[in-house]
This record gives sequence, C-alpha cells and structure tokens, in this order.
Amino acid sequence: VRLYVAVLLAALLALAGVLLGWWWAAFPVALLLGAVVGRVRVALPAGAGLGLLAWLVPLAVAQSRYGLGPTATSLAAIMGFDRQAGLPVVATLVIGALLGLTGAWLGSALPLPALARRAR
Amino acid sequence: VTLGARAAAPAQSNAPVRRPTQRALSKWRFVNLFSALIVSAAVLYVSFFPLRLAGLPALGPAFNPVTGAWTMAADAQETDRTIRLAGLQQPVSVLLEKDGTAHVSSQTDHDLFLTTGYVHARFRLFQMDLMRRQGAGRLSEVVGKAALESDRFELELGLLRTAQLEWTQASPDERDVLLAYTQGVNDRIDEATSAHQLDAMFTLLGYKPERWTPIDSLLIKGDMTQTLNFTDTPLAMALLNRSLGTDLTTEWFPILPPNTQSPYDPGPYSPASVAPIEQVQSMQSADAAQSAIGDAQQLYDRLAQLPTGLIARGGASNNWAVAPGKSASGGALLAGDPHLHLTLPAIWFQLTMDSPRYHVAGVSIPGTPVVLIGHNEHIAWSLTDAQNQQTFFYVEKEDASHPGMYFWKGQWKEYTTLSYDIPVLGGTTQHLKVRWSVHGPAISERGQTTSVWWAGNLPSQDLDVLLGIDRASSWHEFRDALRGWLSPTHNFVYADDEGNIGLISAGYFPQVAKGQPWLPMPGTGEYDVAGTIPFDQIPQEYNPRAGIIWSANQRQVTTDYPYYIGTASNFFDPGYRANEIHRVLSAPGKLSAADMRALQTDTRDYLAAEIVPVLLKSLSGAKLSATEASAASLLRSWDYYMDTDSAAATIWAYFYGWYVAEVFNPWWKSRAVKVDIGEVSDALEQDLEAWTLHDPGNRAFSAPGVGSRTAADAQRAAFHKMIPQIAKTLGSDPSSWTWGRVHGRVLENLADISGLNYGPLAERGDGRTPLAAGGYPSTHGPSWRMVVDWGSHTFAGVYPGGQSENPASAWYTDRADAWWGGELRPMLSAEEAGSAGGTLRWSMRP
Repeated sequence: VRLYVAVLLAALLALAGVLLGWWWAAFPVALLLGAVVGRVRVALPAGAGLGLLAWLVPLAVAQSRYGLGPTATSLAAIMGFDRQAGLPVVATLVIGALLGLTGAWLGSALPLPALARRAR
Repeated sequence: VTLGARAAAPAQSNAPVRRPTQRALSKWRFVNLFSALIVSAAVLYVSFFPLRLAGLPALGPAFNPVTGAWTMAADAQETDRTIRLAGLQQPVSVLLEKDGTAHVSSQTDHDLFLTTGYVHARFRLFQMDLMRRQGAGRLSEVVGKAALESDRFELELGLLRTAQLEWTQASPDERDVLLAYTQGVNDRIDEATSAHQLDAMFTLLGYKPERWTPIDSLLIKGDMTQTLNFTDTPLAMALLNRSLGTDLTTEWFPILPPNTQSPYDPGPYSPASVAPIEQVQSMQSADAAQSAIGDAQQLYDRLAQLPTGLIARGGASNNWAVAPGKSASGGALLAGDPHLHLTLPAIWFQLTMDSPRYHVAGVSIPGTPVVLIGHNEHIAWSLTDAQNQQTFFYVEKEDASHPGMYFWKGQWKEYTTLSYDIPVLGGTTQHLKVRWSVHGPAISERGQTTSVWWAGNLPSQDLDVLLGIDRASSWHEFRDALRGWLSPTHNFVYADDEGNIGLISAGYFPQVAKGQPWLPMPGTGEYDVAGTIPFDQIPQEYNPRAGIIWSANQRQVTTDYPYYIGTASNFFDPGYRANEIHRVLSAPGKLSAADMRALQTDTRDYLAAEIVPVLLKSLSGAKLSATEASAASLLRSWDYYMDTDSAAATIWAYFYGWYVAEVFNPWWKSRAVKVDIGEVSDALEQDLEAWTLHDPGNRAFSAPGVGSRTAADAQRAAFHKMIPQIAKTLGSDPSSWTWGRVHGRVLENLADISGLNYGPLAERGDGRTPLAAGGYPSTHGPSWRMVVDWGSHTFAGVYPGGQSENPASAWYTDRADAWWGGELRPMLSAEEAGSAGGTLRWSMRP
C-alpha cells in the first residue's frame, strides 16, 4: 500500500509540476521515487507511468476543451509527416514517459547513503 | 538491468539461484548506474537542447502539453473577451466577424493605432517577427546559417539604416502613430509570453520575440519596397550587351516597347522641365559606360542566388476605375487586385479602423499601422506597381594609391563604413563591414567596387502619406497626400462618392544627368541621379473623357513622354493584361460591380488571341501527323480562355514557350549568353509578338546554325517538336490535355512547411491573363481582390488564406475557397458587423 501511495503521490506531484509549466518535473519526481523504491522492476514502470500521466492528463484536458485534431495535424505537417496526426500525440507521450522512466531508472541505480537504504 | 533487479530482490525467488559473487554484483551495479546515467543524459539533452543537425527543436519545451506547441489549440479558440491593455486612454471595442475581419472602434486616434497593433500581433506575431528580421538581417539568429547570405545582403543594401533614418526624421504625427502601434504590439507580446500563447513556431524554433519598436514597422515597409522594385536588370543588360553585342541588345531589349500597348496616360505632356537624360535609343555605349560594366557577371550571379523575394522579378497587379457615365449603378466603380507571392498567412490582414479622424476599411500589412488598400467614407483606392527604374548601379573608380577611397567629382573621397554583427544560430557571430559611397552601398567588391543607388534607400515619410490617404475625402486631398510618396512607385487608382475617378503613378522617378542608366554607369559623378520628374509631370489622369482608367504594370505613357522612366525589357509588363482589361472596359455598354468581379478573374489570353490565328495560318498546308492535326483543330475552335478544362489552353501555353526557345535558344548558345533566358522572357515574348505580327522576316528567326527562316518556319518547327513531347507526358489524345492537368496554384506556408500549404490545385489563367497565374504551379497572383461600387454604396473583397497564422485556427485558410472561386465577400462597416450573426466582441480596457 505504501508503494502505491508513493507512486500516486509522485504522479500527482509530477502532474502539478507540468501544469505549473515545469515540463521537466517528471524526471526529478521519478528520480526521487526510484531512489526510494529501489527495485528496478517496480521503479521503471512506475516512473514511466507517472511521466506518461503527467503529460497525458493536460493533453486530454486540452482535447476535451478545444479538440486537438487540427493542432495534431498541423504539428505532424511541421514535423514533415503530413496527415499523420497521431504521430505528434505519440511523440508527446513518449517524451513524457521517457522523462519519468529515465528518472526512475537513475534513481534506482544510485548508490545511496545508509539512511536512504533504510527508507527502501 | 535484469541482474541488477535480481540483486535487489534475491529473497523473493523460490527457484534455486546461483548467487553472483560480490564482485560481480558490484560490477553490474556499476554497469547499471553507468547505463542509467548515459540514457538519462541523452533523454535530458534532447529534451532541453535542440539537435541542430537533425533539425529537431528541444523536445521538452516544444512538445509539452501545457506550454509547448500544443497551445496552438487554445490559441485557435476565439471567444468574447475583456482585455486590459496598457497604454489605452479610453475603452475600445473590437468586433471580429465570423471570418475574423476585425473592426476597431476607439474614442481617440491613439487608441485606434494601439489596438490595431494589439490585433495584428494577436493574429500575426510570428509573421511580423520574420518580416522585421528579414529587413534587419537577423534571420540567421533564429534559423541558422541558411539565412546568412540573405542577412548579409539586407544589411549591405541598407534597409535597417534607412528605417533608422526614417524614424529620426519622422513627423510628430507619424511618431505618435508608430509609438501607439508599438505599444499595442508589445502589450500582446507581454500577454502571450506570460500566458504561454506565443505562436507555436516560436516554441518550435526555440526563441521568444523581442520587444517591438517603431523601426520594425519601418523595416517591414522596406521589405515590401525591396521585393517590388530592387532590380538587377542593369547587370543583366550589361551581360546581354557583352555577349549578344550592342546591335542585337539594342533591337531585342529596347527602351520603348516593340509591341502595341495601352498606356493609361496618353498625354499631351508638358515639355521636360528638368534636363532629361540622353535620348539614346541605342545600346551603343560610350567607352566610359563599357568599362563601367566591370564585374557585372559576379554581382549578377550573387544576386541570382539570393532567396526569392529579395530581388524584384517583374510585377503583376491590376486596378481600374469606371466613371458614373459608364456605370450601371450610376456611381463610380473601382476594382483592384495587387499580385504578390501568395503565402499562408497572407501578406494582408483585413480590418476597419474607426476613430475621431479615421473611418477606413480595407487591408493592412501586419506590422504597419495603416490601411494600404481600401476605402473610407468618401474615397476608395487600390494600387499596382509602377515598375519604373528605381535601381542604378555605379562602378566606383579606385586606385592603389588611394586605398579605401573612390574618385568622385574630381576628388578622392573616403567611403563611409558601417559595421554590423550577425548572430548565427548554432554558429559564430559574423562581422560585416559595409562601405557606402555617395551613390549607396557597395554590394560587390571582388576586383571592382559596384555601388547601388536605390530609391528604397531614400528616407521617406511614406507612413504620413498613407495616413493622409486614409483621411482624404477628395481627389485633391488624395493627390496632395501622394506628393511625399517615394518608393516603391505605385499606380494609385481612385474613385469617390461624387463620381470622380483618377490614376496617378506616385513615387520617385530618378533622372540621371548623363549616360545610359539601363547599364551600370561610372561612379565619377557625371552620371549621378540628379533629381526626379516634377510631381505635376509624373504619369497621371483624372476624370478621363472615355470614362475608364486602368493599370496593370504596363508603361503608363506613350513614346511622346519626355522623360526616361525605364526600359521596356524588364521594368514594365509586356502589357497583355492591360490590353485585355482595356478591351473589356472599352466595349460598348454599361459596367456593373459584377462585371468588375468577372474581369478580375478573366482568363482570356490577349497574346493568344493575336498569335494563334497566325500559327494556324502557318500550319495550314503543312504536313501534320494525326496528333498534330487534332491539336491544331483544338486551337482552331478555341476562344482563348485559359480554363482548366481547355486542352487548347495547354497547347497554346506550351507552344509559345517552345516558339521562344526555337527562336532564341540558338542565339543564347552561339553567343554564350550568361543571363538566364527566363529572366528576360518578358522582353523576348514582346519581341516575338511584334515580329510575328509585323516583321516575320526578322533576322532573329535565322539564328546561327539554323539557316534562313521566317516566323512561319520557326512556328512550324516549334509545333512539330512540341506535340510529341506533350504526347509523351499527357498521352496521345490532345483533347485530354486539359490545362488543369498541367497547371495549378499553391498558397505557400510562410515558414516553408509544405504540409501547411494550400494546394497545389488545378488553376485557370496564366501569366498573361488578368487572373494572373504564371508558373507551374503558380505561387504568385491576386493577393487581394476588391470591388467598390459608389452607386450602390457596396464594398467587397477577399484575399487567399485567412486572418490567423495559426494553422490549427479555423481562420487559417477559411477564405481560400471563396478566393479560388472568384467570389468576393462584403466588406461590412462596424455597425453592419455588429448586427451580423456570429460576431465576437472584445472589450479593451485601459
């Protein structure tokens, strides 16, 4: 339960950071989570998930408020992929997930002092 | 990773596990950490920093859903709003029609221009930023070294210097207007920056717009002047003179047009009141002029490599007016369609401006605070480029004993040197020194220094002129306002609510004291620009007896005009659009606003109507293949309209190109001419027209290596060669060779993103029809169409594209279909817009 709560809190923290304009927030939050959780098999999916969530929620809100179709189509065109509107959406979510995943991985791999090891 | 995970949780596994040794564990922990560090660093790098080589922006700020490019979705939403604007004196109302046309109504003039600045920046800030950067030579700072040559050239040419001088010399009225407008633009920059609403292109290119300044607005005016009248024609003429020889150059590139044209100001003219230039009708050059040709090739080659738009390559615009006596409504009619590069967003932004002194509607150029083409309560106007020569090249006399100096009027003078830094994205800042002689900037210094005198470098108060036009209520006030207009020279057409019509080619008409200004001239002083044609003697006409007046970039005056204003070869249009417009307007009967609209989309090729009958006569009796006979038959029944479903239109368009090549290519090859034949095709087409109709035995048809020929021989040869070539690409049935299969048009995205273009789509017309559509596909054409009927008090207009530069906005291309179909939309007043459905309201508060 404590793990789930930790992951949930981390996800909320990352989301709040992104909403405040700190698009990179998923990385440090996931890094902290990885350091606390320690176990790679848990830290990696949790980190990727929180990164994904932190970037997905604002995107979903924008979709519900404005509709992102024309924007996605335009971004695809700017990227050089005409009429492949899904591509910028996927790219966006992948970036968010990667920020969380790498943060968690690095956090879990860090050689931590004794205090942090006890927290694990 | 796997080993690391095992190491982290060995007790959870029930299977027998061979425990790694402590040493192996440490090794894998190190590998895991090292890998995590490398991958994290890579992800963070591409998130925070752009990958210039791959053309990728920093991915984090670019793609994040809250402050990145996705904000264009929110930016595309328009609603009723209350907006606080710093600097406003009173509340201002802005109405936005359902197509985004803005109506700004204010209680003070200051607030009008401030709000106009805000509205322009709200919808076109990226476009405005690109335009000011182009003029200031600062594109490389945001797009890298690809723009370096453009930046160097712009700084050498002096747009920034001229804008700075204009600002220091601005009248109090002009200063007030520019300062208010600047405040409005900066209000929007502040708002957009703090609310993360900057155009997505800023985000993707990774920079934020700097504060707007009045000089930026003047730079944008400079950009337009350059694209319309900075030419390299004297260099081309020098090269032609050198390779073809003076006799052929004189004959093929004459000062006066070889074909029949329709000048709008037929005279009589007053005698020249300033000493005109030598009335030399020959290219026989004096020794001084010959030596002045100098290194024209190097400079010509350099200018040829500059991006499109920096050198004027001939214009194409139409305007005309009809007096009440010929108008079905009983009031004066006016029509105008300036032809420019068609971009998304368009060069124009449509609005009405209402304040105590201004009640004006029409189109403005974002970045400038005035309506450039439109109407007010009493008058309407439009403009076409006048095409007179405003660029002159001077070869400076230098010698080794006077380093850094040039010889002028009997003495050695030092160049004035200006220094600039050009920041380059992803590279080192470039330092540029520009030397100025009395003639202008030295733009070529490889072996010989060539300076350029360009009217666009004369500091002018053109903004004052445009403000005067916006306020004018009569021809007298309109014409008086234009006294201060210098460059680019425009044919301003006029019609008012009292039934008066007029046309005046306002601007600077440079006169040199001596020499042949169509070639580079010696810079020693005797050949300098000595002044301009007096305002009362520039081409103009008011309430002509025929009741019609028109311009389409043709030479405005007849051969009797006492001043030199440019050569026929490349400054002026060959005149086919003007002839067609004149033909339609001068037909018996009354004309209506609907007729004006139809004429704007007229696709009758005047040249085809002249040449095709001659071609058919040349082909009669000739031995033709079945395909050739079928093609000739199509031409025989053709009405000369370049419609998309016309196969004859394709045959004609290809034929004239092949005919030009058949006659002139052998000359180009045998004389090793280094000027691109396409650059002088206007001149060659005029020649060929004149010879085909009146001089079929001209020696030009008997080029070296082809033997003695007549026009008819050349036509048959071109036709025989052309038909199999078309059949190869379009099939053997000529009736299927419809114009729409080979000819289209595209509205090009300003940032050169092809996926954000509109088209290419099949398009009617060609480069010679009033509906101008030259090129394959055409990228140039009617950038705004307007028709005014003072009898019914109706105003209508449309431009291709939409009001917003945001491609996700409904106002990005919403006008394109109407424009393509030749429709016009009503230009509503603020009151009419207020009562129309779908209008949004912005309340601007101090």
